[in-house]
Amino acid sequence: MKKALIYICLIVMAITFLYPFFWMIMASLTPEKLIGSLTFIPDSFTFDNYLAMFGKIPIGRALLNSMFVSSVITLGVILIGAMVGYALAKTRFMGRNFIFYLIIFTMTLPFQITLIPNYITIVKLGWVDQYTALIIPFLVNNFAILMFRQSFMSVPQALIDAARIDGCSELRIIFQVLFPSIIPTIVTVGILTFMTTWNEVLWPLIVVRDEMVMTMPQLVTLFSVGGRADAQLGVKLASAVLLALPIMIAYSFFQKYFIQSMASSGIK
Amino acid sequence: MHVRPKKKRSIIPYLLVSPYLLFFLVFVAFPVLFSFFLTFHKWNIISPMEYSGMDNYTRMFNDRLFWKSLRNTLWFLVIHIPLQIIFALGLAVFLNSKIKFKGLFRSVFFLPVIVSGVVVTIMWQQLYGFNGGVINQLLNSIGLGRVGWLTNPAMSMPSIAIMATWKNVGLYIILFLVGLQAVPEHYYEAAEIDGASSWQKLWYITIPAINPTIFMVIILSTIGGFSLFIEPYVMTGGGPLNSSLSSVLYIYKQAFEFYHMGYAATLGFAFAFIILIIIVIQKKYIEKKY
Amino acid sequence: MKLKFIGFFTLCLLFSCNRDEQKDNTITFWSSNASQEILFTAYFADKWNENHSEKLESQPIPEGQSSEEVIMAAVVGRTTPDIYANMWQGLVEMYAKSGVLVPLDTIEGFTDFIRARSGEAVVKEITSADGHIYQIPWKINPFMTIYNEKKIAQLGLNTVPTTYSAYLKAGKDFSKDTDGDGYVDKWIGDTEVKNIWHQRLNNFYPLYLAASNGAPLIKDNKAVFNNEYAVGVFNFLQTIYREGYFAKESNTVGSDKFLAGHTATKWTGAWDVSYLERYKEDDFEYNIAHLPVPDDHRGVVYTYADPKNIVLFNTCKNPALAWEFIKTMIDESGDLKFLELSGQIPRRQQIKENEVFQEFLRENPKIIPFIDQSNFVYGTDNCEVLIEVLDIISQEYESCVIHNKKTPAKAIADATRAVDILLGNF
Repeated sequence: MKKALIYICLIVMAITFLYPFFWMIMASLTPEKLIGSLTFIPDSFTFDNYLAMFGKIPIGRALLNSMFVSSVITLGVILIGAMVGYALAKTRFMGRNFIFYLIIFTMTLPFQITLIPNYITIVKLGWVDQYTALIIPFLVNNFAILMFRQSFMSVPQALIDAARIDGCSELRIIFQVLFPSIIPTIVTVGILTFMTTWNEVLWPLIVVRDEMVMTMPQLVTLFSVGGRADAQLGVKLASAVLLALPIMIAYSFFQKYFIQSMASSGIK
Repeated sequence: MHVRPKKKRSIIPYLLVSPYLLFFLVFVAFPVLFSFFLTFHKWNIISPMEYSGMDNYTRMFNDRLFWKSLRNTLWFLVIHIPLQIIFALGLAVFLNSKIKFKGLFRSVFFLPVIVSGVVVTIMWQQLYGFNGGVINQLLNSIGLGRVGWLTNPAMSMPSIAIMATWKNVGLYIILFLVGLQAVPEHYYEAAEIDGASSWQKLWYITIPAINPTIFMVIILSTIGGFSLFIEPYVMTGGGPLNSSLSSVLYIYKQAFEFYHMGYAATLGFAFAFIILIIIVIQKKYIEKKY
Repeated sequence: MKLKFIGFFTLCLLFSCNRDEQKDNTITFWSSNASQEILFTAYFADKWNENHSEKLESQPIPEGQSSEEVIMAAVVGRTTPDIYANMWQGLVEMYAKSGVLVPLDTIEGFTDFIRARSGEAVVKEITSADGHIYQIPWKINPFMTIYNEKKIAQLGLNTVPTTYSAYLKAGKDFSKDTDGDGYVDKWIGDTEVKNIWHQRLNNFYPLYLAASNGAPLIKDNKAVFNNEYAVGVFNFLQTIYREGYFAKESNTVGSDKFLAGHTATKWTGAWDVSYLERYKEDDFEYNIAHLPVPDDHRGVVYTYADPKNIVLFNTCKNPALAWEFIKTMIDESGDLKFLELSGQIPRRQQIKENEVFQEFLRENPKIIPFIDQSNFVYGTDNCEVLIEVLDIISQEYESCVIHNKKTPAKAIADATRAVDILLGNF
């Protein structure tokens, strides 16, 4: 009896979680005038909204931009995070603890303080409307550094010493010798970074106005509040569906990794 | 034991951390200092800076929209955090029991977490539509009448809070699951022998055991609440009657609609300060309680 | 301050990437977002490029919540185009004062051309406080009422009511719950309720100009709208919302109500005609009338021009050449092409009498009311902080008109007081 109740609850909740997606996808395939009366399946299907959208905004370009920006950042975050994390975990130097506490302190610093000056920095450096504005400020990720530090700390020192005796430089030690032992961390950092940078929208809204450089969530946001859509709801919904698609596809293949990554991030 | 050439040792670590140091100087230290400097000036970027002393601060204290955005954010948290905990914990407890299809349910609940906030906002804005939205159509057809989700000033923040809960609960379910699975089985067995009801088990065993997780949910939700931007920006523009004006949205408006850089910097500092205080208070009271 | 920026430049040298240097002879042109204007600009750009070695590159203005926001960002980020063709007249003063626009009257032949095209009154309107002219009056979109003929006929009326009380009565008769679900689903009209400042240019401001025969909001740096006209407009709109004649929901939710037949009237500009033609059902019939005015109104009904002008940013390397291009867009054949493609009115005098336009007018009778109205329009006041003025009015508007929290008299009084404080009058 109790079990039945639990199942019912879970199923009801699951429907609540799925329906909005379902509605949105259906509505994007519905002709404009029928959207108002749509609850479940539309009376007629159409791809018009998608076709119109492709003609109005460079959504394909935005997709590429997002892929480019997120990939570069993820790569950078992994490389730099590993380097700094390693230095904090496995080397001794003056100021090591200071930097560690600095990192923790920075993590607690709300972004509201740094938002405007960072914008001004970008303006003064001439990076407005450039990919550099989207990428560089995100290359150093405190969280990634801490995760790598944690990971490296549990790697046996013997491994490092052996590599040193073999004459490896520090960089080779990090990337060739140690990386294979910390794959879960790399995957976690990779997925989290990619996901959060993909979904980041406030920063691009501020520093990029050139449509050719905009990221996908940014373009879809502006499309939904701006005038290009000619007030056609179906077209706006089509763009939202397209925005959700890449991540949903990645999710359906890598569910386990997504969930694990976010879980371990919370714990740390 | 092995010999490490001393010279090599002293430079390399610094080289390794240099990206961080550079980043810190340019994107953290400088902004914080410059922000502070800006709070004493009026500036719209295209004209020269004007020294204005404490004017920005006085303006902020007298600015009803500043206080309103603060109240809005707190109102959001007061609704969002309990909802989050109840649903996440509840669903986690259900998922932790002996049922099938756990993985499937988990995947479904987690789906909104990974999708962009923009998608969620666009989706829900239509669902919340007063006249044509599906939710109201449903409520009306079963006789409950329509709700002004986004048109009633008293409802706008709660509506956003519900949507935010929907979006994030999957993450917290996972975190709670991890915490729940760490609770030793024999605690529950002992309680059963003593004749404890499900409620008692929940209250006296489960909740204290996952207290650290609850605490983390509260902190993360608080930070999230103060970062609320894209939701009001897309859905309501901060209205109606500025009831959904979040702190970040207000900063954005002052900075990027009116180009009051000095004032926006002042707001930024104020909000950051308040966030830190709230987190410290939460740490003191909530962690201590258990 | 200086030290900080010296530090910056050092960082600059370390980090700067090569920006896309504008090819020196290319003129960059930003048109508005509207699909027809994108087409229009492309047409003239292509024509120019065929005959000139100096190329012209046009693109639509980047997407944003409002084009004003985007341009401001471009100015700040120094990524302005050479020519921008959708500058709202209300913004020009602010940009002119900060020195980013080219004073066009210094170009040979400019002022004469403009005077011949648009008339002396317009030349006066667009002259800045410092005596220079920084904008080319390009197009206007006189605000009028477009109405659904069939729906209005259902009320037993021949034409849409144009006085406040007649309009309110029509509102009462028309706004009904037709599908029996307990909620009104037909409204006499609709306008945006969000309190963003530029939305007031779609409701309050045009109605104010209509009621007051083109009175200003700001004059000699003082707020001068604390009058019966502004209060009357607030009262009119407040009644509409209180009685439920308009829906209290944002336009961004759901589909277009006017096209779907849920509303009978719409207050909008001339551009809407081509929009309606594109998206309407075959049996949708509409007509045009002037905006509603107070019952005791006398004289011609004015309206808001929604003037968009062309400006040259001072990043332009060859203003005279740019002006040559612009002339091709706003001479008689250019204006005609613009009319054909976009349905918006060029700010040219005596269009109706001009031979060049006769055939077009014959084939597009729907535009004639707008052309008539274009002789009685007003743009915006010369005020650097016009955006904040409108924001102040917007806050009071939302409070009084949409949510009934203040009387119109008090709302207008509060607004004028706040504006005076903003302008520095105590």
